[in-house]
Amino acid sequence: MLAVVLVVAFVIMAHLAVILWLSFTDGAPGADALRYGFANYTEVFTDSRTIDVLLNTLGFSVVSLVVALFFGVPAAWLVERTDFRGKTAIFTLMTIGLLIPGFATAMGWLFLLHPRIGLLNVWLIQTFQLSGAPFNIATVLGMGWVQGLNLAPLSFIMTAAVFRSMDPTLEEAAQMNRANLFSTLRRVTMPLAWPGIMAASIYIFTIGFAAFDVPAIIGWGNRIFTFSTFLYLLVNPQDVLPRYGVAAALSTVVMVLAALLSWWYVRMQRQSRRFAVVGGRAYRPKLVPLGGWLATAWAYFAVYFILSKLVPILLLGWASLLPFFQLPSARALSFVSLGHYFSLPWDLALRGIGNTAILMILVPTVTLLISVAFSWIVLRSKIPGRSAFDFIAFLPHAVPNVIFGIGALLLTLYVLQQALPIYGTIWILLIVFTIARISYGTRMTNSGLIQIHPELEESAQMSGARTLSSMRRILLPLLTPTLLYAWLWVALMTYRELTLAVILTSSGNITFPVVIWSLWLGGGLGQASALAMVMLFLMVPITAVYWMVARRQGLLTN
Amino acid sequence: MIKIDNLRMMYRSGTEQVVAVDDVSLEIKQGQFFTLLGPSGCGKTTTLRCVAGLETPDSGEIGVGNDVVFSSSRHINVPPFRRNIGMVFQSYAIWPHMSVFDNVAFPLLHATPRPSRKQILERVLQALSLVQLVGLEDRPAPYLSGGQQQRLALARALVGEPSVLLLDEPLSNLDAKLREEMRVELRDLVKRLNVTTLFVTHEQIEALAMSDVVAVMQKGKIVQAGTPLEIYTQPQGLFVAEFIGRTNLIRGRVSDRMPSGSAGVVPVETPIATLMCRSLSPASANGSAIVAVRPEDIRLAKPDGSDGAGNTVNGQVERLSFLGETVDCFVRVGESSLMLRLHPSMAPEAGAGISLFLPPESCLVLPDPDGQAAAGAARHGR
Repeated sequence: MLAVVLVVAFVIMAHLAVILWLSFTDGAPGADALRYGFANYTEVFTDSRTIDVLLNTLGFSVVSLVVALFFGVPAAWLVERTDFRGKTAIFTLMTIGLLIPGFATAMGWLFLLHPRIGLLNVWLIQTFQLSGAPFNIATVLGMGWVQGLNLAPLSFIMTAAVFRSMDPTLEEAAQMNRANLFSTLRRVTMPLAWPGIMAASIYIFTIGFAAFDVPAIIGWGNRIFTFSTFLYLLVNPQDVLPRYGVAAALSTVVMVLAALLSWWYVRMQRQSRRFAVVGGRAYRPKLVPLGGWLATAWAYFAVYFILSKLVPILLLGWASLLPFFQLPSARALSFVSLGHYFSLPWDLALRGIGNTAILMILVPTVTLLISVAFSWIVLRSKIPGRSAFDFIAFLPHAVPNVIFGIGALLLTLYVLQQALPIYGTIWILLIVFTIARISYGTRMTNSGLIQIHPELEESAQMSGARTLSSMRRILLPLLTPTLLYAWLWVALMTYRELTLAVILTSSGNITFPVVIWSLWLGGGLGQASALAMVMLFLMVPITAVYWMVARRQGLLTN
Repeated sequence: MIKIDNLRMMYRSGTEQVVAVDDVSLEIKQGQFFTLLGPSGCGKTTTLRCVAGLETPDSGEIGVGNDVVFSSSRHINVPPFRRNIGMVFQSYAIWPHMSVFDNVAFPLLHATPRPSRKQILERVLQALSLVQLVGLEDRPAPYLSGGQQQRLALARALVGEPSVLLLDEPLSNLDAKLREEMRVELRDLVKRLNVTTLFVTHEQIEALAMSDVVAVMQKGKIVQAGTPLEIYTQPQGLFVAEFIGRTNLIRGRVSDRMPSGSAGVVPVETPIATLMCRSLSPASANGSAIVAVRPEDIRLAKPDGSDGAGNTVNGQVERLSFLGETVDCFVRVGESSLMLRLHPSMAPEAGAGISLFLPPESCLVLPDPDGQAAAGAARHGR
């Protein structure tokens, strides 16, 4: 078990080390000698393009954070602290909302608000005889809006957990001491929830910073780059040679930023836990009666779900049915056909679906086996320095995924080369996808393992069972519910993973989302929409299974 | 039997090293019920876990039955699953995903040589009948009550016919009434089976009621070991006197005018009176000392003065505390306060003047760890 953990820890570190190493070099893979120097860093810090990219990324993540908090935090408060009914429904919709691929909703928003073809823009121009498009989604603000809508479920789930773990008696004590509802909220609830909301904010900001799907779909065609898409451009340019050294230097700079953000995140989380109630809650807190505000609450949720899910998916479906995109009208309806669905390059799509299916089985399985080993070493063994492994398992969470993609690319190109020719195979995807999910996997297995009393394993040992046998007979059966849930989640994340795949993919290991992306990039918007609709449709049965498992675990209710 | 020699174990918490077990040696004879008693953090559970093999000591030697299972000098460390020890955990550690039968059968399935199916069935039922759980074999383990889970844990610990049984605070999760019943039942069972038992508890009542030998631990060391009666009536130090039962502690000074009285009796000058006391070790004259006297040993003085002139003090009843079978009576004597335990029918009125007799054979002289003479107020141990 220790061997597994050591190897995986080494592989994770290798991804980051190779980036650090190559950021100081100049030269193509396979070159006889690499030249060392700081040229790449000079370029990163002086080139106006990289500065623009960093500013874009900053603006994009701030906007998406604000939008995510606007739709997430009040929603969490409504569900956890008021007498709002239909909490289970909101939890379910929010969780499923997290699973819908970001590129699908981004496509929908592009069809609505693109300056030239955007449905709303065209309609407004025609109706009011405007000279130009009133909205433009292809801006930092527009991309941030879409990304924020996609991240709102995350801010909802994280802050709901904060509100739930707060000691309700503290609020009741405030009310017994003559504070009214509003001043209780302002003086007690919010200050107590603040570190938790802050931690969630840093987390969401980090994800926005590293986001690829939305900036790629909306920004790429309009040459608006954020950090992730710019990295992709550097290693995968259309007309010049790849700039691996510059990509590595930029990655290193962002790694430092990410390290700072995670340090801040961990600090905030620790502070938030100080305020949390330890152990179970003995009774339900008094819920705030909404009274006449109930309708407002429903309207607020309705607006969110219509904007974030319904509108973009409807537009995606509309676009997939038309030979070219146009406003809904009698004439447009006469064009409606399944033409795009039939004309899809089905052999490529099926290859992608096949690869994705294989990865959906292998990635969660391997991830969870490794995660159990990590958690066991960290929480149960007495190996000196074991907490270092927990830190390493946390790295893929702290460092943006796209950097691990670049790391894997550089490793295969510069280090492994012919010795282990996994570039262009499904195995490189298996390795990187697994690494990217180890943080999530170990968080799940850690919390699962903590809930299993160590004496349950010790008593197996006292009954004559060896370590491995007690793991098989005691630990794994008791962990099964956690593992099943986490397996499904990782499988669904693998299904929609675009960022890592797009960097490492070639014709041999193309995945389902990458097929959609390449269709989109090639200008086949109708076909891309059609395939995206197929992808959403195929997701339904797996999501249903996930929903049943999550409900049985009580994760969709409070 | 269990034999522990010079066991030491340190914990490293951050940069600090904490000594959990400090040079502990003990010997438990075949069939003996041996208890480690002490406050939390005294090292009793660590000692037990070292015997089990769940902790690895830094040095020392542990023998279980006829085998040495751990020896730092000979580099022996038998893993827990080969030590043939039965153990009942504080949480019971009943596997919730198994039935009652599967829980008890587990040790047999991992025994070498593995018994036949028929033998397993027989022995599981036999173990369940020992703890009166027959009929519940097919029940999922989480559907048992606390007391039943405890019995199940005991059955599982005994089914493999271990050479020794370890009990880690097994009664602490039961409610008071059930705990009292299980005390008797548990002792009867292990005595009937003649299993060598090492029991760890912080409850003095359990230790006194169940054990053949009690060892009181403090800060990783065994401070006194003996029969429950010895531990209670002849505590060798302040810690044991205070930790076990309730005790009035009166600071004083051993008088330099040694009387010609019976051997082992010394006069101690205290703020309330000069008390004739029993001394277990030769007390040095003029040294400071502490007199310990149990609340139930203090009597109301006979009005006719037939108790004799000595060891009688006068005071005033400050406070009464009615506990049902007894009344705790707090009496102010000068600057000090004494507590005595009386039958409710004997209880005086609060505020009444009262004359108390402290029998010399019940007044025990203990060495004063602080070494300061006659500081004043008496203290009540727990």
